[in-house]
Amino acid sequence: MAIAIERPRIAARRVKRYRVHRALGHVLTYLGLFAALVFFLGPFFWIVTTSLKGNEDFFAFPPVWIPAEPSLAHYVALFTRSSGARYFTNSLVISSLSMVAALVVSLPTAYSIARWRFGGGFLSTLLLVLRMLPAIALIIPIYIMYKMLGLTNSYLGLVIIYTVLYIPFAVWLLVGFLRDFPVEIEEAAMIDGCSRLRALVQVVVPIIAPGMAVVALFAFIATWNEFLFAIVLTGIETKTMMVLVTSFTTGGTDMFYGEASASVVLGVLPAFAVAFMLQRYLVKGLALGGTKG
Amino acid sequence: MRIGAIVMKRKQWEPFAFASPSVFLIGLVIVFPLAYSFYLSFQNFDLSVGSEYNYVGGKNYVEALFKDERFLGSIWNTAMIIAPSLAVELLLGLGIALLLSRASRGRPVITALLAIPAMVSPVMAAMAWRMMFGIKFGAINNLGRQLGILDVYFDWFGSPLLAIMTVVLVDVWHNTPFMMLVLLAGIQSIPQELYDAAKADGATPWRSFWSITLPLLQFTMVVGVMIRLIDLTKLFGLIFILTYGGPGSSTETVAFNTYLVGFKDFRMSYAAALSYVIVGGVLVLTLVFLWIQRIRETRTAA
Repeated sequence: MAIAIERPRIAARRVKRYRVHRALGHVLTYLGLFAALVFFLGPFFWIVTTSLKGNEDFFAFPPVWIPAEPSLAHYVALFTRSSGARYFTNSLVISSLSMVAALVVSLPTAYSIARWRFGGGFLSTLLLVLRMLPAIALIIPIYIMYKMLGLTNSYLGLVIIYTVLYIPFAVWLLVGFLRDFPVEIEEAAMIDGCSRLRALVQVVVPIIAPGMAVVALFAFIATWNEFLFAIVLTGIETKTMMVLVTSFTTGGTDMFYGEASASVVLGVLPAFAVAFMLQRYLVKGLALGGTKG
Repeated sequence: MRIGAIVMKRKQWEPFAFASPSVFLIGLVIVFPLAYSFYLSFQNFDLSVGSEYNYVGGKNYVEALFKDERFLGSIWNTAMIIAPSLAVELLLGLGIALLLSRASRGRPVITALLAIPAMVSPVMAAMAWRMMFGIKFGAINNLGRQLGILDVYFDWFGSPLLAIMTVVLVDVWHNTPFMMLVLLAGIQSIPQELYDAAKADGATPWRSFWSITLPLLQFTMVVGVMIRLIDLTKLFGLIFILTYGGPGSSTETVAFNTYLVGFKDFRMSYAAALSYVIVGGVLVLTLVFLWIQRIRETRTAA
C-alpha cells in the first residue's frame, strides 16, 4: 500500500524535475542564440549608429554608442563630397542590367535542358568548374582583352562579365523550377498553334515568375557584392559602391568614419532585404556561390 | 503527347537554338580568355615594359614554384588563415545550428537574422570590421577603454600574428552563418524517430548527440568544410580592405599576391602563371571534394 501511495508522488517529482530541466534548457538555448545574435548583428548596429553620429561624438569619452541627436550629415557628405550618389547609381544600374541579361539568356537554356536534356551532364560540370575557378584566373585575360577592345571603364564591359559569370547558376536554378512545371500546359498551348518560344514567354514565364524572382534576386546581390572585376575594370565614372569603399581606407584605420560608415550601410542594404526574401533558398544559393558573383 | 513527340522530332535544331546564346557567351567570355591566359603564362608579357612579348617556356612556372619567396609565403599565409577559420567556423556553426534546432519559437526569424552576414559582400564586412578595430575611434578599443581593459591606442593589425588572427575573426564572422545554415539543414533532415527510439532506450541527450547527430552529420560537415575551403583559397576582398596584405606581406593571400603582380607590377604573363598555379591547387581540392561526394553517394545507396 505504501508503495502505491508513494508512486504518484515520485512520478510527480520526476515530472517536476523534467519540467525544470526543460525550462533550464530553453533558457540556455535562447541565451546562446542571443549571444550569437549580438556577435553577428552587433557590427551592423554599430555601423548604423556610427553613420548617424556627429563629428564631435567620435572624440567623446565615455564613447557615444547611440547618438543623442542622430544626423544624416554623413550621408549628405557621402552623396555630395564623395560622389556617393553617382556610385550608388552605378551599382544599381550595373546590377539591374546584369540581372535582367542573365535571366533573358539563361531562361531558354534552362528550358532546353529541362525539356530536351540538352548537353547531358554538361551543366553540372560547368557549374562545378566555375564554382572552383578562382576569379583571379579570369580577370587577367579579361583585363587585357577589355583594354584592347576599349571596354574598361564602361557599364557594358562589367555587365557582360557579370551576366556570363551568372549564367550557370541561373540556369541551374531555373532548370529546377522548369522541371516542376507540367509539360501538358505548354503542349496544350502549342496544339492551339502557339510557337514554342511564344509558349515559353506567354505560358511558362508567368507561372514560374516566383522562381525567376529568386534567381533575379540572387543575381542582383551577387553583382552588387562583386569586387575583383569591379576594382580592376572600373574607372572614375563607373566605380561601384564596393570600389568607393576602398577610397576610405587610405588614411590608416582612422579614416573618415562618418562617410565610410554611411557607405557601408548603403552597401549592405540589399543583403538585408534579400536575406529575408530568399530564406528558403539560402543554403542552395550560398553553397553554389550564388552571392559571390 | 504524341503530337509533342512529332514536333520534337521535326525540330532537331530547337534544343541547340534555345541553348546557343549561353553557350556562345560562355565560350567567348570564359573559355576563350582562360585559354588565352594559359598561352600568356608561357610568354614574358609585361605591360610595364611594353606590349611586345616572346615565348619563354616554363620559366614563369619555375619562378613561381621555386624562386618567388613572396608567392610561396602567400601560400603559407593562406594556409595559416584557412586552418583556424575552418576549425572555428565548423565548431561555431555546429553549436549555433544545434541551438537553433532546439529553439521551438522564432526559429525562422532568428535563422534569417543570423544569416545576414553571409549575404554581405566581403568588402563591406571587412570595412565594417576595419572600422570596429580602428585605433582611436573603433568600437573595440572604445569598449575596452570604457571597461578599463584596453589602451585606446591598441593596434589590432600591429604584428603579423595579430593581423592574421584579426583576419580569421572577420572571416569567422562573415562565413559561420553559411556553415550554420548547411548544418541546420543537415540536422533537420535527421529523422526524429531515431531520437525517440534512443530516448525510449534510456539514452541521455548527450549520448544521442554523439551516437546519432554527429555520425549522421559527418558528410554534411565534410561538404560544408570543402565548400568553405575552396572559397577561402580565393580570399581577396577581405584582405584588400582589412590589411592590404600587411604588415609587410604577412597577410598576403595567393589571390591578393597575384592581383598585386598583375595590377600593380603589370607583369601579366607572370600573374597568369601564378593564377594557373592557384587553379591547379584548387583543382586538386575539387577532385578530393568530388571523391568524397562519390563515397557519400555509394554509402547512401548501399
